[in-house]
Amino acid sequence: MTVKTSSARKNGTVRTGPEAGAEPIPLRYGDDPYVWACWLYYEDHMTQGDIAEIMGISRATVNSYLADARARGIVNISLEPSRLSSLSIAQELKRHFGLHDCLVVPSDDNARPLIDRLGTAAAQALTKLLKSGDTVAVAWGRTVLAIGEQASVPGLQDVTVVQATGGTRASFAYTPELCAAAIANAVNGKLINITAPAIVSNAEVRDILLREPLIESQFAALSKANKALFGIASLRPNSTIHTSGFFESVSVQQYLAKDAVGVLAGRFIDGRGSPVAGPLDDRTIGISLDMLRSIGLRIAVAGGFDKVPAILAALRGGYVNVLITDAATGRGILNADGVTELDQKLSQRPKIDSSVALPSNFRTHIKKFLNDPDDVVEEMLDGVVKAHGAYIQPIKGSHRALVARTGPRPGKVGLVIGGGTGHEPCFLGYVGKGLADAVAVGNIFSSPPPGPIFQCARAASGGQGVLFVYGNYAGDVMNFEMAAEMAAENDIEVRTVVTTDDIASSPLEDREGRRGVAGNFFMFKIAGAACDRGLSLDACEAATRKANSRTFTMGVALEPCSLPQTRRHNFEIGPDDIEIGMGIHGERGVIREKMMSADEITDRVMDRIFSEMKPASGDRVAVLINSFGATPLMELYILFRRVEQRLSAKDIKIEANWVGHYCTSLDMVGASISILHLDNELTELLHHPCDTAVLRVG
Amino acid sequence: MQQFDNASAGDIVLSIADRIIENRAYLSEIDGKIGDGDHGVNMAKGFGMAAERIRGNDMSLATAFDTLGTVLMTEIGGSMGPLYGVMFTQFAETIEKSSSIDARTFSAMLTSGLDGIQAIGSAKVGDKTLLDTLVPAIEAFDGANADGKPFPEALDALVVAAEKGRDGTKDLVARIGRASRLGERSLGVLDAGATSCALILKALALGAKEKLQQSATASD
Repeated sequence: MTVKTSSARKNGTVRTGPEAGAEPIPLRYGDDPYVWACWLYYEDHMTQGDIAEIMGISRATVNSYLADARARGIVNISLEPSRLSSLSIAQELKRHFGLHDCLVVPSDDNARPLIDRLGTAAAQALTKLLKSGDTVAVAWGRTVLAIGEQASVPGLQDVTVVQATGGTRASFAYTPELCAAAIANAVNGKLINITAPAIVSNAEVRDILLREPLIESQFAALSKANKALFGIASLRPNSTIHTSGFFESVSVQQYLAKDAVGVLAGRFIDGRGSPVAGPLDDRTIGISLDMLRSIGLRIAVAGGFDKVPAILAALRGGYVNVLITDAATGRGILNADGVTELDQKLSQRPKIDSSVALPSNFRTHIKKFLNDPDDVVEEMLDGVVKAHGAYIQPIKGSHRALVARTGPRPGKVGLVIGGGTGHEPCFLGYVGKGLADAVAVGNIFSSPPPGPIFQCARAASGGQGVLFVYGNYAGDVMNFEMAAEMAAENDIEVRTVVTTDDIASSPLEDREGRRGVAGNFFMFKIAGAACDRGLSLDACEAATRKANSRTFTMGVALEPCSLPQTRRHNFEIGPDDIEIGMGIHGERGVIREKMMSADEITDRVMDRIFSEMKPASGDRVAVLINSFGATPLMELYILFRRVEQRLSAKDIKIEANWVGHYCTSLDMVGASISILHLDNELTELLHHPCDTAVLRVG
Repeated sequence: MQQFDNASAGDIVLSIADRIIENRAYLSEIDGKIGDGDHGVNMAKGFGMAAERIRGNDMSLATAFDTLGTVLMTEIGGSMGPLYGVMFTQFAETIEKSSSIDARTFSAMLTSGLDGIQAIGSAKVGDKTLLDTLVPAIEAFDGANADGKPFPEALDALVVAAEKGRDGTKDLVARIGRASRLGERSLGVLDAGATSCALILKALALGAKEKLQQSATASD
């Protein structure tokens, strides 16, 4: 009975009279039928047909109202920022490098390792990129294997998958054979292996092999490839290139010396993407770079900051025309190639107008209790030695090397810890009976030199060896290693455990490259207990290593810290931003996010910790909620509350917990959460008594 | 042959220390952008301590380098202590038997300093470290010598290349040390180590030029 009238027009004239079937415009919409239409459509989720009926206008008019409402800004449709960001980066990568296509996965989803996420994305992309009848050359790599494991492309026919290089011994999980087989399996394709070694002992062997009819036929199949799928390896020290056994490391060094930055299908390229000549070139059996570049669709899947130079080189060299990566890497590639507009574009999200005049009380310097800024460390140590004289005393009068009053004893392994200052009560607060025997103290955020560390080793030595435990930072490693050499020259056996508990600082694959942060607290406790129980140097080292491998820390900074010398923030955090993945030296975090609630922040951290820790119901843990310096206990307890909720929901028992200032970063606002995943041995050691300035157990 | 006297050139190290101390705040500020802001302070402390031991003792260049290297290596800590420490110690070892220093000795000295750094650190050129200053500077110096340029002109080339290398670190992604954890966010910022290295090389080159001029005048 509705009269569909065409008399209602776009200009907003609407029937207000009691027409048959149509309602009068409700008061709350004022005179604006656009708002009314939008409300019915977007909020009440009605169909355009129903809206036409209610408003007494035609469906076409409803449609045009809705369209105009967007044009007039009544309705805003926005994409979720991280998705928008990855779309923009993908678009820019495609444009800048003239790619056939580009897929960028958001970087802020840290629930799963990057390789898995890239694998999933690439697996989905394959369903669009591969067609029946294709011949696909597949290179080896962890990422490629991840794709093969996750891909399932049904409905393809007559696809041939050719292994792009010769084979290797199966000392790692992603051999060329396995990668090609996984992809072949996923696309239900025919698999052709190259049945020769990827690297042979000399050029003659290669030539002989290539002339073998069987291998010749395999290469003929490879030369028919119209699509290629490969990863991109970096040559950084932590790259799997060095450990996979695919190349002899000596040869890799020779390529490095010639400025190679990346490896594609076993071939080395420099920063401009040009091939780098080297000793393996004519000993390699596999696809050449020229062959690769002549393939129609060249799909590279790679991500991670450390791969930025290698991926950029591959793009510059034209080896890639479909790139699948993650947002952070994509942005890094663009920045490294001089594209800066993207950052401006992405930062054009609503933000506080920065042009407003600064208020008159605006300050650039942070107030601190200081005398001469150059004397802060000495003056602090003077205070420490006097305040905690019951526990520690200077070695040979130096405040830079402090020994426990009741620590070292004959027959006991000595524990030496240390690092820069600015982290108080780290590290000197953990010296005393049942914990560390001596501590070496550096300048602010800076490792102590070898001298004091060696003095500590000598003072801590009870004839059974000395254990060094410190965080993984370049400076600390160099100085402690030199000190260990000095100790060895003096017949003191030193073992070292470098702590790497910060799970945000590097992906799981690079566990050893992670930095050591507040989880040090647990490593010191365990090491100290093991030493105090009179265990052997081997056993003390093993227990500490175990504690390190089972400790997971992640930090979040709300505001930066400021150094006594500069009294300025050493980086900026926007008014609405937080930094996730913050270390303890005021280095900027790994991801910047909008401010969120305490529970949301805790959940982000705990989700990431759980994904690595893989706890089982009934497991026991120790929890450390640590302030970075300026965050008060009140907020730490709020964090602890949520941590406890998350743990108990998984039926995980908190065996012990500490909440407070345990490893700080001067006056940074923020906190870290550390979880030690206990077993029986660690539980016992955790409860072993200790008595120090800041930690007392039993 | 252009050369200068080793025995009376220890004061070059004092002028290097002066430049570092003058630039203390600047170096810390650069370091604060992607590091922890302590570079200037720690460098100034180490170079200042060494200068106190050198000043008034009429040292040879070799002895002054050795003093500086030893102070940095054993008393400063951090990562710069060992790295610069080994560089200056190597400088000292290379020239200690030469009574006068010509371009060839100077080149050998720089090269062995570089070797020392590379022996204890894992950085390469392009990683946004002091090597991005040091390596091109040595290459430019050696290149100018190979082209038959006089010693002072080769020193000029060294300074130009060092500063260019330093400026180039702005466009690099840090791949080593703490800043490497920032990934691409280290772009657009100078590296503090590369900056201090340029200051050191410039002061060293200017000091050497001055000595060359003096010995030229003296032999006139």
